[in-house]
Amino acid sequence: MTKEEKYKLVEAFIIENQHSYYRLAFSYVKNKEDALDIVQESIVKALKSIDYIEQIEYIKTWFYRILINTSIDYIKRNKRTIASPDEILDFHLPNQEINLHDLDLYDAIDHLPITYKTIIILRFFEDMKIDDIAEMLGENSNTIKTRLYAALRKLRIEMKEDVES
Amino acid sequence: MSKINDAKKKFDNIEIPDELNFVVQKAIKEANPMKNNKRKKMNPLKNFGLGAAAAAIIFAGSVNISPAFAQSMSNIPVLSSIIKVISINELTDGNDNSQANISTPQITGLENKELEATLNSKYEQENAKLFAQFQKKMAKIEEQGGGHLGVDAGYKVLTDTEDLLSISRYTVETQASSYETIHNDTIDKKNELLITLPSLFKDNDYIETISNYIKDEMRKQMAADVEKTYFIAGESDVNDGFDKIKEDQNFSITKNNELIIYFDQFEVAPGYMGTVKFKIPTNIIQKDLVSNHYIK
Repeated sequence: MTKEEKYKLVEAFIIENQHSYYRLAFSYVKNKEDALDIVQESIVKALKSIDYIEQIEYIKTWFYRILINTSIDYIKRNKRTIASPDEILDFHLPNQEINLHDLDLYDAIDHLPITYKTIIILRFFEDMKIDDIAEMLGENSNTIKTRLYAALRKLRIEMKEDVES
Repeated sequence: MSKINDAKKKFDNIEIPDELNFVVQKAIKEANPMKNNKRKKMNPLKNFGLGAAAAAIIFAGSVNISPAFAQSMSNIPVLSSIIKVISINELTDGNDNSQANISTPQITGLENKELEATLNSKYEQENAKLFAQFQKKMAKIEEQGGGHLGVDAGYKVLTDTEDLLSISRYTVETQASSYETIHNDTIDKKNELLITLPSLFKDNDYIETISNYIKDEMRKQMAADVEKTYFIAGESDVNDGFDKIKEDQNFSITKNNELIIYFDQFEVAPGYMGTVKFKIPTNIIQKDLVSNHYIK
């Protein structure tokens, strides 16, 4: 495969999956501007390092890895509260109680540490395999599995607490 | 797991902004060196443009350094069309005591040939006249047994942006003391129009607005700095101080689209102040402006 063909493939892949990238980035930063920044930065980084990807079947994991790292860097760089004010407000408004139920798990996921959050999103929302997630995060599959269970356990605990209260 | 599915639904419902696709496409374009290479290969004209621009810079440099080069090059049409302002002729004359140095700008490359010709012939005629005057005066001085005389005329490009070109021509006549005058021209490069001061404003109210501002500014500057002196009508010892600007007072427009008003030496201040200029804040004249196209 020539370099040009590789570019075309990667480009097409990025364009095709842009919504997923945006959603993941948004899950981290909780606002449109920052999420767009992350997507943009990730694409530039990815295309500039296109030589490092040897087998084209790894495009997906490779790109996600860049996206996740870029997001984490971004958050570190701009350390500020990322909770969206609207959601906090929603939470305290009395007539929103009906929604509280489905708000809960999503919100609970949001409050997980970033590694757990990433694994949950990729596994359940993006429907990825444990092995692929391991590849993206540069860990082995067992570590990911352990973390996933830990995350689920954490969520259940948080949910249970909520049910009880 | 239904809770997970509900959460997934929420995740899937994260709103995708309209800008996303644009951001993605732009990032791809930005990052992809292949695309840039391809564009270069397919568009040799772009490289030519760069080369031509570089040549223009060198050329313009040479024109200004060497009058002889300017003379010899001014007849080559392709080259002259790239440059906006060049020295077209240098008139020099003089002896040990007297010296004239007159360089005339020529605007080239305008599509509006009428405007170009009008401006250029104005520049040429005025300087030819100046030169003739100098020669006459010099002859007279020689006759009377010698003296000093100097004429130095040239120009400065004040502003050269995509939209605007402001040229300032100055003349310094020295005979015992010196006297400097300036004449500015500002051209709308896109629409190829000569911008006049009245054309910027809705009506003649600007004269009053700007004059009042300048008077205030003069008072302020004098209060702040003892070195500065301006003549304000009715406020200074001289008979005719500054009352108001002329309808077509000399002006220029900066690259930041601000209006500058110029005065000749002696016009509003004692000679040691030289030619003076005032930047007019846009908010002062906003209500009088026709639009914010030139002045922002």
